[in-house]
Amino acid sequence: MIGLEHYLTVAATLFVIGIFGLFLNRKNVIILLMSIELILLSVNINFVAFSSFLGDLVGQVFTLFVLTVAAAEAAIGLAILVCFFRNRGTIAVEDVNVMKG
Amino acid sequence: METIILFAPLVGALICGFGWKFIGETAAQWVATGLLFLAALLSWIVFFTFDGVTEHITVLRFIESGTLATEWAIRLDRLTAIMLIVITTVSSLVHLYSFGYMDHDPQWKEGEVYKPRFFAYLSFFTFAMLALVTSNNLVQMFFGWEGVGVASYLLIGFYYRKPSANAAAIKAFVVNRVGDFGFSLGIFALFFLTDTIDFDVIFGEASTLAETQVSFLWTEWNAANLVAFLLFIGAMGKSAQLLLHTWLPDAMEGPTPVSALIHAATMVTAGVFLVCRMSPIMEFAPEATAFITVLGATTAFFAATVGLVQTDIKRVIAYSTCSQLGYMFVAAGVGMYSAAMFHLLTHAFFKALLFLGAGSVIHAMHHEQDMTNYGGLRKKIPYTFWAMMIGTLAITGVGIPLTHIGFAGFLSKDAIIESAWGGGSAYGFWLLVVAACFTSFYSWRLIFLTFYGTPRGDKHTHDHAHESPMVMLIPLGVLSLGAIFSGMLWYSNFFGHADQIGKFYGIPMAAEAAAHGDDHAVTDEAGHGEEATEEAQGEETALADAATEDHGEAGEHHAQLGGEPGDGALYFGPDNHVLDNAHAAPIWVKVSPFIAMLLGLAVAYLFYIVNPELPRRLAENQRPLYLFLKNKWYFDEIYDAVFVRPVMGLGKVFWKRGDGSIIDGFLNGVALNIVPFFTRLAGRAQTGYIFTYAFWMVLGIAALVTWMSIGGGN
Amino acid sequence: MIQADLNTILPEIILAVFAMLGLVAAVYTSKDKLAPALVWVTGILMVLLAIWIGAAGGVDKIAFNGMFIDDGFSRFAKIAILLSAACVLVMSQEYMKRRGLLRFEYPLLVALSVVGMMVMVSAGDLMSLYMGLELQSLALYVVASLRRDSAKSTEAGLKYFVLGALSSGLLLYGASLTYGYAGTTLFSGIIQTAIHGEVSVGLLFGLIFLISGLAFKVSAVPFHMWTPDVYEGAPTPVTAFFATAPKVAALGLFARLLHDAFGAAVSDWQQVIALLSVASMFLGSVAAIGQRDIKRLMAYSSITHMGFALMGLAAGTVFGVQAMLIYVAIYITMNVGTFAFILSMERDGQPVTDINALNLYSKREPGRALAMLVLLFSLAGVPPMLGFFGKFYVLRAAYEGGLAWLAVAGVVASVIGAFYYLRIVYYMYFGEEGSELETNRSPVLWVFLMASAVIMLLGVVNMFGVEGAAAAAAATLVN
Repeated sequence: MIGLEHYLTVAATLFVIGIFGLFLNRKNVIILLMSIELILLSVNINFVAFSSFLGDLVGQVFTLFVLTVAAAEAAIGLAILVCFFRNRGTIAVEDVNVMKG
Repeated sequence: METIILFAPLVGALICGFGWKFIGETAAQWVATGLLFLAALLSWIVFFTFDGVTEHITVLRFIESGTLATEWAIRLDRLTAIMLIVITTVSSLVHLYSFGYMDHDPQWKEGEVYKPRFFAYLSFFTFAMLALVTSNNLVQMFFGWEGVGVASYLLIGFYYRKPSANAAAIKAFVVNRVGDFGFSLGIFALFFLTDTIDFDVIFGEASTLAETQVSFLWTEWNAANLVAFLLFIGAMGKSAQLLLHTWLPDAMEGPTPVSALIHAATMVTAGVFLVCRMSPIMEFAPEATAFITVLGATTAFFAATVGLVQTDIKRVIAYSTCSQLGYMFVAAGVGMYSAAMFHLLTHAFFKALLFLGAGSVIHAMHHEQDMTNYGGLRKKIPYTFWAMMIGTLAITGVGIPLTHIGFAGFLSKDAIIESAWGGGSAYGFWLLVVAACFTSFYSWRLIFLTFYGTPRGDKHTHDHAHESPMVMLIPLGVLSLGAIFSGMLWYSNFFGHADQIGKFYGIPMAAEAAAHGDDHAVTDEAGHGEEATEEAQGEETALADAATEDHGEAGEHHAQLGGEPGDGALYFGPDNHVLDNAHAAPIWVKVSPFIAMLLGLAVAYLFYIVNPELPRRLAENQRPLYLFLKNKWYFDEIYDAVFVRPVMGLGKVFWKRGDGSIIDGFLNGVALNIVPFFTRLAGRAQTGYIFTYAFWMVLGIAALVTWMSIGGGN
Repeated sequence: MIQADLNTILPEIILAVFAMLGLVAAVYTSKDKLAPALVWVTGILMVLLAIWIGAAGGVDKIAFNGMFIDDGFSRFAKIAILLSAACVLVMSQEYMKRRGLLRFEYPLLVALSVVGMMVMVSAGDLMSLYMGLELQSLALYVVASLRRDSAKSTEAGLKYFVLGALSSGLLLYGASLTYGYAGTTLFSGIIQTAIHGEVSVGLLFGLIFLISGLAFKVSAVPFHMWTPDVYEGAPTPVTAFFATAPKVAALGLFARLLHDAFGAAVSDWQQVIALLSVASMFLGSVAAIGQRDIKRLMAYSSITHMGFALMGLAAGTVFGVQAMLIYVAIYITMNVGTFAFILSMERDGQPVTDINALNLYSKREPGRALAMLVLLFSLAGVPPMLGFFGKFYVLRAAYEGGLAWLAVAGVVASVIGAFYYLRIVYYMYFGEEGSELETNRSPVLWVFLMASAVIMLLGVVNMFGVEGAAAAAAATLVN
């Protein structure tokens, strides 16, 4: 029988993978965007699991909002990335360090 | 009206000090002086119209904090009225005098403006002094007390280009601080014990205080004694009594008008005023008053001895001041507060006169202060000579013995000496008589050295010696009148019959108080009092020991000052028979100061007119004694060795080791090494890489989760 | 019912509709030529809305079944947000125009982010919290990279975006846990579960994640790393905006969440907030010393100041919230003036941000230098200025809240922090002769600089009534 814990475990695992993707990856900014998607989706799993477990629809409504926002976020992220690429000609994470100190 | 008196000098000080740029130098000085004369005029009106009933005039709400609620109020009673005329009169005359004295001061170069500053300081001092004497509570008094301290500091150090003046100013300030510490402890103690600082309430609780014990410095004390003693320490500092007197002679570094105003007539008498003001408490503190008597007498004697050998004209008068203050404390100590106030009043006139006269001499001699360089000035500066002569006659106490006719000092000083005898203080009595002899000697010595004999010192200076201008002579004239007549005029009010004193100070008579203010009782008692006094005077012819025996009998039907503590300006306890005893003193007691005076005069005449070689020979014969006196009993040297040097050493250690090495070292270490280290660290953490930033965030959340798991679970 | 709800959020609706209409209008007409007018209209609209919110106040209203709360606290925060955003907009117009940055999107994006902030401070539900936050953040990501041809600006936008998205993820994860363990997303529901018995571990984890997400928005250490880079890279007017309105909104949301949803678990979050506060104060002060770029320096300065504001929050009392509101109101006023000054720094028409350029500035511009001196003293918390009283309030709140150690740490940090403010004063008055700095003589900037400095001096009298308003606002939040 698959219980709540299993869903939560999967979500937590995805969440951690997403976070690790953010700071272990040093090659490509696109991967950062994907990691962020992963984090948001893990949260969605959480919400849906809780919603179903609690018999409460609010969690699923929340999920829909998160999905919408995630789409907008991805769009803005890609737009900024395009601008960045135009200026620098690279999207390597290691090159995003003009400002420091 | 009282408010105008109090604030006119402040307004004058502000206008003169800050406004002279707009209204001009001379105008500013005249504004300050004019306001002072206005205050003086109003003060005399207040003095003569005052009916003896204490008034309270609220000016503003002052401090409210917890149970400490106090108003800035003027307390107008006889003590205040006396002080008002003394302060404003002397101050206004000194203002006027300064026009002449401060003109063309050699300390300043051409074109430098210093006079408005001087006048502003003088006016500010007057305001602070008035605030002190009009205070209705201890904090207000402390404000005035410190205000005069500041003004005194500013004025002693007025010649700020002279290192000695700066040193003297600091010395005066620091020595006064010792006394102020005692004073403030006294205030704290009173507040601690009575939960108020208001005079009326404190006086009302005086008798309770006498029955209270407090623990202070590991010992149990009687509360009244402790408070009286602490307050007296404050008075010692301000009034330059022994142990805390060292600043007064040095304070002569200030301009002479300052010496006349502050260090002779007004500020130094603040201590006497304080003791008189606190008379309800003093009456319940026998040990403390005994201490006051002994210390006052010792000071009177000590200062007089030192005065014998000084050659600086101002220092002689300074030691004389110190000595005369000792007299006042003896009077206050034995419980004859009105005699103390009497001497305070007369002393203010003749000592201001002497100082201003000395200033006139100094002015004439182009700021030469050493008496050994004077001589034969009688003809050159006749008006000054006569003024000084009157002052000397007053201070030495010239008058007709056994009558009430004489110069001011004759009446007031004799009153004190009789009180000392009447108060049963043989120590005080004999020291005062000896001091009177010395007083006479050094005063006449001053006159003889300055005005008689042959001119000594720089011939050029003597040739150009000239009489002072009118602005300086008029104050001398006015003060001369005071020095001649003030004693005779007010003798009965200060040291006459008990009922006269009672009326003057607004103190109810003992019987009157008992009869609840019945008018008949007053007249009855007054009548009785007169009879009794006649009786007492008749008995004066009796032998000394007989008089003491009679005293008990006389006291029975003699008018007795009574009232509760806080009624009237002064309080005499029911057991205080000093006045009667003093009036009943035998003739030899009454004559003794006069004889002492004649003796001093004779010796001075012998030493400085008849045989001028004598003093030098005596000094050589008695060299150790001479040096002992010349060096003021080595007080400065002892203090230097005992206090100043160790403290300086300690200060150096703290400064070099503590402040320099430890504190500065620590701060510099933090500021120059540790903080920049962290700054570099923070800069290095800010790598610019997104993954580092994300990593820090994750680390942060991990830390918070851990923190919460460990700490938040409970 | 829906009518009443819509009435409650009418200010937000008006601003949002205005932004969308403006977008459409500008796209279909003259595009960027409309921008200057749009800036003014937006600014004026914001001021009008602020006045309306202030005047209409009084009754506390709850809309959408508790998802949206209109109370004294939210009104206070909204007025602060609207006014500061309007100030920054008006200030930035000329700067943007001269550098070809004044596109019509700019005022509209600012307006949209302001809508987001207004929703944030009124949020009564995790969902409205998230939506407000995202609306604000998405608009801010874009304005940060407004200068499309600049590597720095786009890098700032990229960094802000990636880290912001991460923080949203953390926040959301916390929200999901909170939802799961509390069974509801309504603040009023969450606080009920906390009152009944122990706070469950899951809820506490949710709280930690929520706090982390919000700490990012207020740039509290260790979630602050984006701040200096974004402040430096973004165009200066945008930096000015970052330093004002979003701080109010984030702090308001912080206070709202902690008190409305977790008010029953004060002891659980108090230590966490105190930790964030002390870390921010010290790191901000220490790191700022090494900065030569005034915008970066202001970033660290804002980290320090947020540490102080959090100190008020950490107290966990009504007075603490009041102190925080007063502090942040004073802080944004100071920042408006300071950035008005930074905006006017230029040489040959190019903006200058190096603090060495300020050498002997007082010789050339005594009036401005004096105003800046007042502002810097106020930022450092030197007594006669208003900035001191802000610090005094939060220190008192912390002390009275039983966090004496935090108050002591705050004093030490402010001593360290005073150094770099005073160093700028030193440069301005006693520095060495260096290359001349020109000053943009825009009257608008001058007015804001002087007004801010004068407020710092005169506000000492009665703080212009902010004290009472903040007290009333705090009282409605904390029960």
